[in-house]
Amino acid sequence: MGGVENSEPPLKRVKVPSGDLKNLVDEASHIVPISSSLGDSMARPPCSQGVEETVGMKGVIKKQEFVKIITRALYSLGYVRTGALLEEESGIPLHSTAVALLLDQVRGEKWEESLVTLHKIGLSDEIMVKRASFLLLEQKFFDLLKEENLMAALDTLRNEIVPLSVDVGRVRELASCIICPSQCMALRISSQDGTDANSRSRFKEKLEKLLPAAVMIPERRLEHLVEQALDVQRDACVFHNTLDSEFSLYVDHQCGRNQIPSHTLQILQAHKDEVWFLQFSHNGKYLASASKDHITVVWEVKESDLVLLKHTLTGHQNPVLTITWSPDDSQLLTCGVEEVVRRWDVNTGECLHVYEKAGVGLISCGWFPDGKGIVCGMKDKSICLWDLDGRELECWKGQRTLNISDMAITDDGKRIISICRENAILLLDREAKFERLIEEEQVITSFSLSEDNKFLLVNLMNQELHLWSIEGDIKVVAHYRGHRRTRFLIRSCFGGFEQAFIASGSEDSQVYIWHRDTGKLLLTLPGHSGAVNCVSWNPMDPRMLASASDDRTIRIWGLDGLKRKGHYSNGNGIT
Amino acid sequence: RDMGRLFLISLEGSTYSCKHCQTQLALLDDIVSKSFHCRHGKAYLFEKVVNVNVGEEEERMMITGMHTVADIFCVGCGSIVGWKYESAHEKCQKYKEGKFILERFKVLGPDGSAYWVGRDPQVGSDADDA
Repeated sequence: MGGVENSEPPLKRVKVPSGDLKNLVDEASHIVPISSSLGDSMARPPCSQGVEETVGMKGVIKKQEFVKIITRALYSLGYVRTGALLEEESGIPLHSTAVALLLDQVRGEKWEESLVTLHKIGLSDEIMVKRASFLLLEQKFFDLLKEENLMAALDTLRNEIVPLSVDVGRVRELASCIICPSQCMALRISSQDGTDANSRSRFKEKLEKLLPAAVMIPERRLEHLVEQALDVQRDACVFHNTLDSEFSLYVDHQCGRNQIPSHTLQILQAHKDEVWFLQFSHNGKYLASASKDHITVVWEVKESDLVLLKHTLTGHQNPVLTITWSPDDSQLLTCGVEEVVRRWDVNTGECLHVYEKAGVGLISCGWFPDGKGIVCGMKDKSICLWDLDGRELECWKGQRTLNISDMAITDDGKRIISICRENAILLLDREAKFERLIEEEQVITSFSLSEDNKFLLVNLMNQELHLWSIEGDIKVVAHYRGHRRTRFLIRSCFGGFEQAFIASGSEDSQVYIWHRDTGKLLLTLPGHSGAVNCVSWNPMDPRMLASASDDRTIRIWGLDGLKRKGHYSNGNGIT
Repeated sequence: RDMGRLFLISLEGSTYSCKHCQTQLALLDDIVSKSFHCRHGKAYLFEKVVNVNVGEEEERMMITGMHTVADIFCVGCGSIVGWKYESAHEKCQKYKEGKFILERFKVLGPDGSAYWVGRDPQVGSDADDA
């Protein structure tokens, strides 16, 4: 670092117990009267009687540094008098005498003098001193050119700048300035932003950045430290589920668990058999549920958070296994088990198209991001891409997908994701035409893709959830445990504010919620009387979660105590 | 038959399946030995079995000595179909560890055939001193 005050003795490092220190400070403050005018009060001797003082309970904050960044902050805020007073009263000047002089001389454009002062600061890093000298001499050079004193400028360049042997490229540029003065204007402008005033402040910035932080005391250092602390608080807040929480400096930030949906707001009864799947639309205005009873129900989420039945979609001859919303939420795809895929209009509830392949049952489906095509997994393990009218556009044969498989397509349409083997998930890159695999040691039962397409949540046979990062380095980044899965296909999902939570169904009839980053199990929600097969978190409302169960019902979960327009519906939610 | 929502692994080839619900349990190719016995007659030792839940471990005295085993149950209907060898106390029996027994009486063969108890006089469970 090398920032030693110019004529003061080096500070000896002696640790003083903070108790004693406090007494020292208290006593001292009684002795010296606090004066409100500058230059009048007796400056306290610098507290360097061979002791390095600290503040705070842990003894890690050096008092000198603490006071200096406060002083800096005061000046930044515009409280010049207070800043100067603090320097006086604490006896801790913001800058050492030499540095203060240097800054003064720079302000006054006294380059020769500033060079001398620069060397008096006592920096140990030679290269740094040379670079700083270069900056100062550069300013001198430009000034001379401006005065059209070419000989002096050349002399400076040759005899002062070149011997530094730093920044050789820049030296050449400066040389070209002498030959072609108009070029110099361009150079000056391009490198230092236009007007003289601007170029000066940019030069000062460069100088400040060059010299060590301990010497210059960076601007906005205190603000930066406070923001860091707030970040840490926020990251530590596992229940953080809302954008509009304010951060106060008075108290550590901590959301209560009442920020996460944990109370049953509604029980939706419309299905006549086990409900296997459900999902909110992208805009959070609709919820679609699929059941063993061959029926898909479309629900509407009203302003008041009340969920009402909108359409009952019939037509499948087999239980409906999965649903996907079109990118614009105007249509739905539903897939019957080893049967056909149907496309529906959300507004009218009518079936627009039936997709099937002779002799092969369809087992999964997905929308293409442009909404103009659909992708289907087949019982014969292949994956087909069709346009909306049912014309086959592409087909990947071979072992691409399994009997019970989820299908996902990334928002850029580039990757198709499906379970291709018992313990492996295929990431099929359409453009590059290559495949990557995620391999697990256990059998994979289902998966879910995050909204940003960067993570995959994988459900394993051994009741664990693994969170995989699938962008760049493919690897597991977190584990979640606690729920039960021994026989059934149980689904999990991402959700909440910034998808900071993981939710899952479970065979013990509860909904499980974990904090995504820490893996900590936050809540288990009882209520259903049968296995919870699937969960979906409203993408537009972090306070709403839906669950589908073997007990034939769907539960809407929300925050406690939220007032609704007088509705707590136990019926089937029909208007 | 919950084929959709029940999570089942499907096997390709000649398979043995649960007698009650036809859930696939093991491949013919994974048979290690056919010379085992159980209370209900013949039993086969398999390298690998799927779609079963493994129960609690317990110590059991078999024909060939003491073993730590766990009963296995069909995921589809819950009926007990055999057991898994968790550990064998005698060195020469260690080859069984991690492998599974399916009772012939509890499964349908690759040709769909059942098996009737009473053909073999049996003295207890286990055997095959390979």
